[in-house]
Amino acid sequence: MGTHSSNPRKWALFPVLVALCLAIQLTPRPPNVEFTSFLTFTVGVIFGVFYGGVFGCITMFVNGFLSPYGFAGLIMPFQMVGMALAGVFGGVYKRLMPERVDSARFCSETAIVGAVIALIYDLVTNVGVGLCFVLSGTDFALAMLIAIAYGVFFSIVHILSNATVFGILTLPSMKTLHDLVGSEKIG
Amino acid sequence: MVEKRTLVFLTLAMLVWAVSISSLAGYFYLQNATHIQQIGENQRSLNKTASNYDESMSKYNTLLSEYSMLYYSYSPDANFTLLMEPFGRLMNSLKSNYSSLLMNQEDLNETYYTLEENYQLIYQEGNVTEKDFGRLLDEYYDLFNLLAIRELGIVVSETVTLTVNISVYYGNETVEWYNETVVPAGSSLFQLTKEIAIVDPKYDQWAKPGHIFIEAINDKEGYSSDHIDEGYSDGYSWMWYYWDSDQQKWVSGPVGCDAWMLKDGGIYKWSFEYWRFDWPWS
Repeated sequence: MGTHSSNPRKWALFPVLVALCLAIQLTPRPPNVEFTSFLTFTVGVIFGVFYGGVFGCITMFVNGFLSPYGFAGLIMPFQMVGMALAGVFGGVYKRLMPERVDSARFCSETAIVGAVIALIYDLVTNVGVGLCFVLSGTDFALAMLIAIAYGVFFSIVHILSNATVFGILTLPSMKTLHDLVGSEKIG
Repeated sequence: MVEKRTLVFLTLAMLVWAVSISSLAGYFYLQNATHIQQIGENQRSLNKTASNYDESMSKYNTLLSEYSMLYYSYSPDANFTLLMEPFGRLMNSLKSNYSSLLMNQEDLNETYYTLEENYQLIYQEGNVTEKDFGRLLDEYYDLFNLLAIRELGIVVSETVTLTVNISVYYGNETVEWYNETVVPAGSSLFQLTKEIAIVDPKYDQWAKPGHIFIEAINDKEGYSSDHIDEGYSDGYSWMWYYWDSDQQKWVSGPVGCDAWMLKDGGIYKWSFEYWRFDWPWS
């Protein structure tokens, strides 16, 4: 079992994943169907809570400037926090994972984690949107209600797509990464 | 016995479901609240229109009754000079009832003051004939109806606007289109033309329905010349047309542009055109 500091392959993987994540994030795609949270979660699992969080922050910071939907502006810090939480979830999930878990169960669990991550990310970013409304003079409670309520359809798409992506891709990607970096077996 | 880990994930899944459903409920609640508010605003607007309509109709009925009483006295054996005083009161009543309209709409204002001028002129002459008085009554009645229609248009325009298209053809292959122009309901072509261009109107009291001729649009001025030896006049003038969607063709404006009321989706055209009039007496 290698540690984070003693495995150069693992650390070489970090910038590669950042680049891959940004490339996918900046590629035109249907709104709220994304792979960033999945990759951030994966980084959290491999590198731990802190680096998972940093990975999410970096990705959303760069995305905030280069996104095909335009400059994120005031929403960017909220996107960074939301995505950092996905990385944190990865680290926490790794810590709480039992030694042996069967594939079906692992896929189900990661699908639920994906849905939770999407939900939390959307809630956090919707708070950012709500704050924009507050700054333009809307009452705080109403602004939050409007932001969350009018983002609900995007959120549902996000939750469903994330659950699917996490449920299908986490297990094979973990196995591939395990083979690649030679760290402890996952899944 | 369900293990603790399974319970945690089930709880998380339910949490996602509950928050999503609550957000959906919030969305529909907001949509509902917005629609109720819009319906309320529309209802208030309709109530206001209905109230203004009532007021307008009541004014119309009062003035019509006053006119009717005077018209009843209008018989060949009447003393028309004596009838001039009640006619003056009728004029004053018309002016006070439609004061804001007369103030804001220059063509109507012009018609009113021309009528008042004619009235003063005939009144001062003393011996009022049946023909003179009849003409005053006719002019009054035309103006009164036009005012009533315009006022109704204004009442309707509080809830309805019209979207029309208009073009100006300058006669040198230059056409300017003003598409999707939004105007209040009850607007005349003259009002629309003033909205989209700089116009030089000329008032003609003898022309009717409508008293306005457009002499120039955006500084392009009409002109005419008389050819005495050849016995005709010709020149260039601004003519207006409306698009007849049933017949799919432009139809020449049958009345003055100030008397033609716009309709929603209507297409209109001003055209700078050559005309020639052969004198019948030559």
